[in-house]
Amino acid sequence: MRAVVAYTWARDVADAAVRQDGTVEWRKDKMSPGEDDHAALAAGLALTTDGGTLVGLTCGNGDASWALARGVEQAVHVTDATPHDDDAATAAVLAAGVRSIGAVDVVLVGDSEEHPGVPVALAAHLGWPAVVGVTTAAARDGRVEVVRTVGDLEETLSLAPPVVVAVAARSAETRVPGMKELLAARKRPVTRTTLAELGVDVPDTLVARGTRLPATAPTRVFDGEPGEATRQLVAALRNEGVL
Amino acid sequence: MSATATGAWVIATEEKRLAAMVRAARALGGTVTVVAVGPRALADAASAAGPDGVLWLEPAGAEPVEAHAAHVAAAAADAAPRTLLATVEPGARALLGAAAVRLGAAVVPGVLSLRTEGEGVVVECSAAGGAAIATLACPGPLAALFAGDDDVTAAAAPSAPVRVLDDGTAPADLRVVGRAASGRSAGVRDAERVVSVGRGLKAKADLALVESLASTLGAEVACSMPVAEDLGWVAKERYVGRSGQHISPRLYVALGISGTPQHMEGVREAKVVVAVNNDPAAAIFRTADYGIVGDLYDVVPALVAALSS
Repeated sequence: MRAVVAYTWARDVADAAVRQDGTVEWRKDKMSPGEDDHAALAAGLALTTDGGTLVGLTCGNGDASWALARGVEQAVHVTDATPHDDDAATAAVLAAGVRSIGAVDVVLVGDSEEHPGVPVALAAHLGWPAVVGVTTAAARDGRVEVVRTVGDLEETLSLAPPVVVAVAARSAETRVPGMKELLAARKRPVTRTTLAELGVDVPDTLVARGTRLPATAPTRVFDGEPGEATRQLVAALRNEGVL
Repeated sequence: MSATATGAWVIATEEKRLAAMVRAARALGGTVTVVAVGPRALADAASAAGPDGVLWLEPAGAEPVEAHAAHVAAAAADAAPRTLLATVEPGARALLGAAAVRLGAAVVPGVLSLRTEGEGVVVECSAAGGAAIATLACPGPLAALFAGDDDVTAAAAPSAPVRVLDDGTAPADLRVVGRAASGRSAGVRDAERVVSVGRGLKAKADLALVESLASTLGAEVACSMPVAEDLGWVAKERYVGRSGQHISPRLYVALGISGTPQHMEGVREAKVVVAVNNDPAAAIFRTADYGIVGDLYDVVPALVAALSS
């Protein structure tokens, strides 16, 4: 099976600081691996263990070697892609990257909570179906078998390639690569390309008019020593009618 | 997609937020159509939610709704609605994505409200992990992943006509090959009160402290992802978060939980969230209703005492 794993295609929301006036400042203006990217990568590796290839795809100013230090042999990097508020625009760039790789059976992407529209729009740009919210994937008889939780049920689906699969992480990344793997990653091939070379034009159709703080009341924090703080908390909860 | 496109489509695969989306679509002006992909009961619920019409498609037994994405996209191309709305649920999201790209629509997640402004639509949506709200103007077609509050008080509206959506488009080759109980704890899922613990807990034996608070409150014990998945201190079916339990207790007490977006998605429907954390900068203090900054080892015994007095 020939698979592509998309990674590091958005900024990390943890790098966004919200000021008192509601404006958002990006302390680090770099694309970072998403919190689900390692799960997408694990699914990609699982799908290609018995023969097949896994190609990494990243875009923007992040570190392309992230996947190369984690078992991916080669990657494509769309170097001049920028963050978008429009998930369909981000997806258009990733779709162009996938097309540049050639024949692909499955594209794996982290099912990012911040950008839930990206995997489904990516599939639509490619003209493929999308299955999202998946936790594991395996190759079976030339098809992709995935598992996801729906309500109280664990659902197993069998998907005919080509297909886009979005994988949600069930835990934080447990195995972080060591120095040897990081150094080896630097030697693995990265094909650098640009939006112009890929022939993709993603005008931002959305006009940002600024940000504000949510209208919801801020957290009411009880200060002081634990005895007094907890007495105040219990009084407040009784007032709310939840005790 | 022409600039004259009007009307809104609400794409629904379940009843959650359906009434709220119809109401939001209604406020934009123009006709409102619900595209219901699921059983007849869903189409009936859609009809009663107040749209002008319902397009209904029922997947065959083993077909996931995603198999019909191309079908819904083709119908969207014919009707050319100006705005699409759907929840972030996996099935609805896949249908929305397919229709959005077909219409050349911008896809905006976390949409809380929408309004018409001239030829365009202006949305407010969640930004910076929910810590801010962004305003975006959409001069062209828009596909909104709706995250606004559900409308549980929706008035019963006259029933809109239901038309079967059938243009002969073949479904994609996706099949459900197995369904099994996930082993999620109904105890946590249905509890009125939940006490949940995160990485602030230093040892498994200290769970006794958490359990003492839970028992005082008559609450179920839950946890954040690492406590179940990495440490294995609490049963996995008790872990609350995006890929775990999504719960709606009246009271949720988070002990030593930093409040990652991943975790908070699981308690978005909780009525009152209380956070105890020794880090005043913890993200949970941006979304909780009440907080105490302090070590849970000091605060929990004091809280048990305060509840008992």
